[in-house]
Amino acid sequence: MGVLAALGAEIAKMFAADFRLSLTAVATIGLCAVGLRLHALPPADLPFLLAGGIVAALAVGVVRGAPRDRR
Amino acid sequence: MPDLATAAPIVGAAFLASAVEVVEAFTIVLAVSVVRGPRPATLGTAAALALLALAVAVLGPLLAKVPIHGLQLTIGVLLTVFGLGWLRKAVLRAAGALPLHDEAAVFREQTSALQRQADAHDRAADWLAGVAAFKAVLLEGTEVVFIVLAVGARPGLLAPAALGAAAACAVVLAAGIAIRRPLSKIPENSLKFAVGALLTGFGVFWSAEGLGAPFPGGDWSILALVGLFLAAGAALASLARRRVARPA
Repeated sequence: MGVLAALGAEIAKMFAADFRLSLTAVATIGLCAVGLRLHALPPADLPFLLAGGIVAALAVGVVRGAPRDRR
Repeated sequence: MPDLATAAPIVGAAFLASAVEVVEAFTIVLAVSVVRGPRPATLGTAAALALLALAVAVLGPLLAKVPIHGLQLTIGVLLTVFGLGWLRKAVLRAAGALPLHDEAAVFREQTSALQRQADAHDRAADWLAGVAAFKAVLLEGTEVVFIVLAVGARPGLLAPAALGAAAACAVVLAAGIAIRRPLSKIPENSLKFAVGALLTGFGVFWSAEGLGAPFPGGDWSILALVGLFLAAGAALASLARRRVARPA
């Protein structure tokens, strides 16, 4: 049972070690999907918007982590 | 047969990501071997590897039955989330905002914990040590299995991904057996940084493919995306280093 609990915790840690970062990344991809579905985003531009959004999510995650982890 | 532009990043990603995880598992297996001898360490490791190989053998063909766009989007989202987590942590470690992972310290902690356990439960000590090795290989190997399945989740790519992971196991084990010490000289954070960029690059590429809006340039754009995340990570590490160094 201990091994199973540790396995569950490991899998949760893989995808939600930083829950806000994971949520931001999923929301970025979700917004791109909605924009594409509603024809608000041209398909040719979507990959670049998606990559830019993920870089922005990373930047926010790093900036948020740097001062917090310093203390 | 996948071409070089497709197979090389997959083998590279699986190799590097697996190497990081195998180094961490090896530290604990070595501690088990030092405290209780090679038998429980070998048995625990072999049992976990068999279970992980079974997981790949069962889940790999199952994934092939899922519709390709849905699979690409699901794997793309999971890889992006997983890779971003690694990349962010590596950036913060490179900036000094988080402590670096220290294999030698982990080895010392594991050795003394196993020794205490052996003193308290003399008769079951080998069993407990074997379970410790099993657990370490299973937990670190779970990430390897995910990476192999995720980066190999297109027709014909599971074998190159598994090959990269197997090569990493062989290289790390050979190095570990040769020096019989934790592999603390390996630049683990630099590897994690590179792997985070690779996995995030793959994740964004497959998310876009899954959404039906692929990047121009086909599989070559994976390399451009990996370069983008490496550059972004390096720039953010520099920025974070300045923030950390600034007096509060």
